[in-house]
Amino acid sequence: MTIQKVILAALGAAALSFATMGSAAAADGVIKVGAPLPLTGPLSPEGLKQKQGYDIWAETVNAKGGIKAGGDTYKVEIVYVDYASNTPKAVQSADRLISQDKVNFLFSPFGSGAAKAAGGVSEKYGIPTIAATASSEAVYNQGYKYLFGTFTPNRTLTEPLADIVLGKKPGLKRVAILSRNDLFPTALAKEMAKSAEKRGLDIVMSEKYAIGTMDHSSTVTQLKASNPEWVFATGYINDLILIRKQMKDLGVGAEVVTMIAGPAYQEFIDASGPLAENITSSAWWHPAVRYKGDDVFGTTENFNKLFEAKYGAAADYVQASAAAAGVILQLAIEAAGTVEPAKVRDAIAALDTTTFYGPIKFGDTGQITSLEPPTFQIQGSKPMVVYPDGIKQADINFGVK
Amino acid sequence: MIYLQILANGLALGGLYACIAVGFSLVWGVLNVINLLHGSMIVLGSYIALFAYTTFGIHPFLTVPIAGGIVFALTYALQRGIINRVIAAPVLMTLTLTFGLDLIFNNAMLTAFKADYRKLILENPLGSWSFSGVTLPVDRIAAMALAMLLTLMLFRLLKDSRIGRAIVAVRMDRDAAALMGVDVMKINAITFGIGGFMAGAAGCLLSIIFPISPLNSTVYLGKSFVVCVLGGLGSVPGAIVGGLALGIIESFGAFFLGPEHAVTLAFSLLIVFLIVRPTGLLGKKGYE
Repeated sequence: MTIQKVILAALGAAALSFATMGSAAAADGVIKVGAPLPLTGPLSPEGLKQKQGYDIWAETVNAKGGIKAGGDTYKVEIVYVDYASNTPKAVQSADRLISQDKVNFLFSPFGSGAAKAAGGVSEKYGIPTIAATASSEAVYNQGYKYLFGTFTPNRTLTEPLADIVLGKKPGLKRVAILSRNDLFPTALAKEMAKSAEKRGLDIVMSEKYAIGTMDHSSTVTQLKASNPEWVFATGYINDLILIRKQMKDLGVGAEVVTMIAGPAYQEFIDASGPLAENITSSAWWHPAVRYKGDDVFGTTENFNKLFEAKYGAAADYVQASAAAAGVILQLAIEAAGTVEPAKVRDAIAALDTTTFYGPIKFGDTGQITSLEPPTFQIQGSKPMVVYPDGIKQADINFGVK
Repeated sequence: MIYLQILANGLALGGLYACIAVGFSLVWGVLNVINLLHGSMIVLGSYIALFAYTTFGIHPFLTVPIAGGIVFALTYALQRGIINRVIAAPVLMTLTLTFGLDLIFNNAMLTAFKADYRKLILENPLGSWSFSGVTLPVDRIAAMALAMLLTLMLFRLLKDSRIGRAIVAVRMDRDAAALMGVDVMKINAITFGIGGFMAGAAGCLLSIIFPISPLNSTVYLGKSFVVCVLGGLGSVPGAIVGGLALGIIESFGAFFLGPEHAVTLAFSLLIVFLIVRPTGLLGKKGYE
């Protein structure tokens, strides 16, 4: 072997290894998804749930080799920023994630208010953004092209409730509505009032309580005086635990007591004990739903199993919706065959498929239209689905004392 | 009749407010320290009651001295070890220090206990009393009665014991008290500890009424502020009067203006008081 041949061989080997290195780098591509969340402060219980949903998605995707787009494979990395339950900071965090951390995609901050505020940021940069916990239509009517949401409008919660309650109790007339003075709870209360009025019910009381209210005794006293057959209370878990306890303290009962959102969480049932019995509620997802999909989880059962194995508790709708946000992003990237934001955005808008979370199809505003949120009731300390009929686990009971 | 019920609600709530605020008021009045740790100490008391009940089956009312004692030890040590170093500095310094300590402490509780709202559910709920159309939840009444008893004991302690007189002496004139042979540093720590005891005890009593979470600490702290300003600083009867006043105001405010404005009303009143009568209903001039 001449010296030239040795050098040539060495060069060839180097070139070859360089080429393999190159393809290895492509195989090790990373998709960064920014997730501003309230990991501390008053909203942290919700923020942590959302984080669990994103984490289980990312972990499952990476364990299966990553996301395939075109000829490349990408690992998923979620970049979290804690905005300490402070909405203005959520918007700054979203901006920072996009402009400095250079994330490819964004998951919205918690709730309708913050998702709406941060929606403007992703629009400005043209970054596809998925909101896992924003249901109010006011979030999606801003003409944003890059914002998509996994919760159907609030009326899809109140309409089936009104149908099944009045289906079983056609004579029921008197409804009292109590809501936390906050974007989602008041929007939901308005939808309930519409659903009630449409069916000729009398709204005998309609009040808002302030955020941070420590005592509801005056309100519950008025509630008692209005003698309702159906009490509809909106708020977050701590509000609703307290309202339920004070209803008991002051001897207020009704045929139907509906509380949203809270009873979907195991913590509500644990914290209310026997008082949780027969409380009705609705959520966008429930572990009892059964869907088969083409996503990384495959079926609802499989998602439930993986979730329980990782966190030791049953998933609720917030965690499932957050995982679904990841699943939607993944399906869209795979369909687009690229991570280019504008193309992924179009692929999300064009999705028409089924996942563990349910059927996925977005309306013109970017809000999902395909879900049918289940209605459930706490019976024997367990949330039992009473609607839709396909997944019904129990009949609705009346009477809350 | 509904007015009577609203009044009863307000009194029961006011009793709880007094119980929340009395320790805060003592520390502020005597040490001139705005103890931002106070809310977290109440929450700690609630968790002690929760764990004592779920693990050992001890009734929360019986946990009061235990929780009070634990929080006393903790706050005594904090005062002796850390806060005493800056006690003579302007109030902003101690405010910042307790703010920092509270951040550390509250986040430690978030890590240890999680932010989830929990609730102490008694095996045999105490139920409600009902007579002539007025319904009173027994747990609130019992908690209020116990809180009043503790407050009365604190009042007697300040009036009759040597330590109590020393605390009052330090409140009136720190330098003169020191010249009279009072160990001011020790009295500071004891006062801070007593404030902690009252917070821990209040947490126990509240554990059967309110959901429990580290996130509640700011709510308790906010109420303590209002009660102190309404009632007057550093005076035990002031905390009771301020608490009851706030309870009744919020109760009727929620009834007449709607529950969304009850808190607004309370804070508007706070501002009016700060302008018109900064010493509060029962506060004396010269102590602030």
